[in-house]
Amino acid sequence: MRTVTLAAVAGLLATTGAHAAEPLDLVGPVSDYKLFVSEQTDLLVDETEAFVAAVKAGEVEKAKALFAPTRQHYEMIEPIAELFSDLDVAIDSRADDYEKAEADPAFPGFHRIEYGLWEHNSTEGLDPVADQLLTNVKDLQGRIESLPFPPEVVVGGAAVLMEEVAATKISGEEDRYSHTDLWDFKGNFDGSQKIVELVKPLIADQDPAFIKQIDANFEVIDVTLAKYEEGDGYVTYDKLTDQDRIKLAAAVNALAEDLSTLRGKLGLD
Amino acid sequence: MTDFPLRTSRRGLLVGAAALATAPAAALASTEAEPLHAADAPIEDAARLSDRISPFGPHQAGVTTPRPANGMIASFHVLADSPADLERLFQRLTDRIVVLTKGGPVPEVDPKLPPTDSGILGPVLTPDALTVTVGLGASLFEDRPWLQPAKPRALVRMTQFRNDALIADLSHGDLVIQFCANTQDTVIHALRDIVKSIPDQLVLKWAQAGSVPVIAPPPGAPPESARNFLGFRDGSANPNSADPSLMDQVVWVGPENDESGWATGGSYMAVRIIRNNVERWDRTPLLEQERIFGRTKVTGAPLDQPHGTEAMVPDFKADPHGKITPLDSHIRMANPRTPESRANLILRRPFNYVNGVLKNGQLDQGLLFICWQADLEKGFITVQRRLDGEPLEEYVKPVGGGYFFALPGFADGQQDYLGRTLIASLSPTSQDSSQSGPSTHQVQD
Ligand code: HEM
Ligand SMILES: [Cu+2]
Repeated sequence: MRTVTLAAVAGLLATTGAHAAEPLDLVGPVSDYKLFVSEQTDLLVDETEAFVAAVKAGEVEKAKALFAPTRQHYEMIEPIAELFSDLDVAIDSRADDYEKAEADPAFPGFHRIEYGLWEHNSTEGLDPVADQLLTNVKDLQGRIESLPFPPEVVVGGAAVLMEEVAATKISGEEDRYSHTDLWDFKGNFDGSQKIVELVKPLIADQDPAFIKQIDANFEVIDVTLAKYEEGDGYVTYDKLTDQDRIKLAAAVNALAEDLSTLRGKLGLD
Repeated sequence: MTDFPLRTSRRGLLVGAAALATAPAAALASTEAEPLHAADAPIEDAARLSDRISPFGPHQAGVTTPRPANGMIASFHVLADSPADLERLFQRLTDRIVVLTKGGPVPEVDPKLPPTDSGILGPVLTPDALTVTVGLGASLFEDRPWLQPAKPRALVRMTQFRNDALIADLSHGDLVIQFCANTQDTVIHALRDIVKSIPDQLVLKWAQAGSVPVIAPPPGAPPESARNFLGFRDGSANPNSADPSLMDQVVWVGPENDESGWATGGSYMAVRIIRNNVERWDRTPLLEQERIFGRTKVTGAPLDQPHGTEAMVPDFKADPHGKITPLDSHIRMANPRTPESRANLILRRPFNYVNGVLKNGQLDQGLLFICWQADLEKGFITVQRRLDGEPLEEYVKPVGGGYFFALPGFADGQQDYLGRTLIASLSPTSQDSSQSGPSTHQVQD
C-alpha cells in the first residue's frame, strides 16, 4: 500500500528531467488510462453484483465460476485501487494478513469468500461478507471517479503490477484455495501492459532498445500463459510446470527492473 | 606418523607464488611465517575492507584461498535456451565478478531513476576479500540437449544418503554461486547485485548464509582451525591448500581426471546444509562428544595424543581395535588413513549457519558444509558413504545442498570470461580451443 499526494499533478508541471518527455505529453496517456480504469471498475461492480448474488443464493458452483473473472478486473487496476488502502484491505487482503489467519473474524473480502467456497464448499456465513464486499467495491468506484490521476502513479503502476506478481502471485499463494492465480496474473500483466502501451510513443524514439526488451518479456509472458488457457480463462495454478513458472518469474523480474525506470525516463519523480 | 600430505604436514613447506598472489595482503602480513589455509580461522583484527582477492587465474578464487569470516551459497534456476544465451550469462556474470571484487565508486545516475546499486556498502564499493565462485549443477546440462554432451563425467544430481532428510526448496539448482567476504554486508551486497543485474537469466532458488568465528592466534604459534557449532575445531586435517601440486591432485580437475578438456582447472563442489541438534549435543557428556569425533574438544588434538595439538596426526595402525580412537569416530570413518583412502582426500571449506528457531522451539543451526575435489565420486560421495551410520548422525541432519561443477578460472582482459572453454567446446568449429584447456594457464595477474 502506498500513499501519494494528489497534488502531484501540479508538482509534475514543474519537473523536467534531463531526458524527460515534455510533461504535457502525459496528459493524453493519463486520461486514456483513466478511461480504462473506469471501464474496468464498472465491470468490477457489475460482476461483483452477480458474484455476491450467487453467494447469497447459496449457489456454490455458480459463485465459484464467477470468482476469478470478477477479481481479474480488480487485479487490472490494482495500482489505482491500492491508493485507497482501507478498501484494498477490505477487498483483497489474505488470511496471512491476520494473526489468526482464516479463523480471524476480521478476515474479509474476496479471499474470505474464496476460502468458504473452496475449503468448505459452502456459502454458509458468507452473506455479511458478500454484502460488505459489494459495498466496498461500489465505494471504490465512487472514489476512483473523483480521483485526479497523478501521472507518476499511473506510470509507476506498470512496475507496481510486476512487483505484485513477483512478491505474492508467482508462488501461487494469492488464490490458495481456488488456485485461480493465473487469472490474476493475466489481470496484473494486462494492467501493466496497458500503461506501457499508452506511454510507449513518448520514449519509443529515444530508447528503442528499452522498448524492445520490454516487449520481448511481455511476449514471453503472453506465450507462456497462453499454454494454460481453458475456456474463457485458465487452468488451475498447480498445472503450471516448474519450467514455465521459472520462465514467468524471470520475465516478471526483468520487467520489474526495466519498468522501475519508466517514471524516471519520463521525467517524473 | 603417516606421510599423508595433509594440512598437518605443511609446517615448513615453501609456499607457492600462486598461493601468495591470491591471499589477501593484510591476512598475510599478520601471519608472515605461516600462510592462511582454506579453512584456517580468520585472524582477529587482520581483515581489512581493502583486502582484495584477484578473481583471475587458472582456477576460480574462493576454493583454495583462505576462508574469510562470511560466506553464502546461492542457488539459481538458469534461463538459457542456446549456447549463445549461456555465453551471454557467463559474460554478464564475469562482468559483475570483476566489478564487485575490484571495488570502486558506484556509477551515479539521474536521481529520478532507481540507483544502479543497492547502496548498502555506500557510494564506494570495498573489495573486502570478496570472492565469487560459480558452479554448474547437473540439471543445467541434463535439461538442455545441446549441453548434455558437455556434462562433467562425475556430475550427478545429489542423491539421498541414509541420514538425509532433503527439503526440495533447499536442494539442487542449475547454477550455484558461492560468495565469501570479510563482512556479511559485502556478501549480501554481492548477492543483491547479481540478482538485480541478471533478472532475466537467473531466478533465485535458495540461499544459505554462514560465518566462521574470528580468532586471536596464540602469539608465535601457527593459525588454528575455527570451531563449528558443536564446539569442535573444524579443518584440522584438511589437505594443505597452500601446496599447489597437492591441490592439483586433490582439488583441481587435470588431465588424469578423464574429463573433457573444457573442464581442466575446474573442481567438483559438494554443498550440504547440515542441521545440528545443538540442544541435545550440549547435553552429551564431553568424553562421548570426543569419542564421536575422535578428537579432543578444547585443542582438537587427536585422541591418541590428547595433550598435543590439532596439527598432530593420529596413528590408527597402533590402535587397530579402536580402543583410543573409536573405529566409528567421525575422523576415522571419514579418513581411515590407509594407502587406499588417500584417493579420497577432499578440501573442506565450510561455514556455520544460524537460521532462527524451528517449529519445535529448537535452534535451527548447523554447518553449511562445502567441500572441493577433482573427482566427486572418489571424493565426497565415497567419504559420505563411509560416514553413513556414524554415531554423529544422532546429532546432525542433512536437509539440503547439491553437487556442482565449479568452472575453470578466467584471465584478466576482454578475450576471456568464466565458462569460455565450455562454450567453445559446444561449437564444432572451435574444437581446438576446447581441447587445449583454458588459456588462462599462461596468465597470472
Ligand atoms: C555437521 C556435520 C559435520 C561436522 C560437525 C563435522 C565436524 C568435523 C570435525 C570436528 C572434524 C575434525 C577436525 C578436522 O579435521 O577438521 C572433522 C573431520 C573431517 N570431516 Fe567432518 N564434520 C561434518 C560433516 C562432514 C561431512 C558431511 C564430511 C564428508 C562427507 C566430512 C568429512 C570430514 C573429513 C574428511 C575429516 C577429516 C578426517 C581426517 O582426515 O582426519 N565431515 N569433521
Ligand atoms: Cu491482489
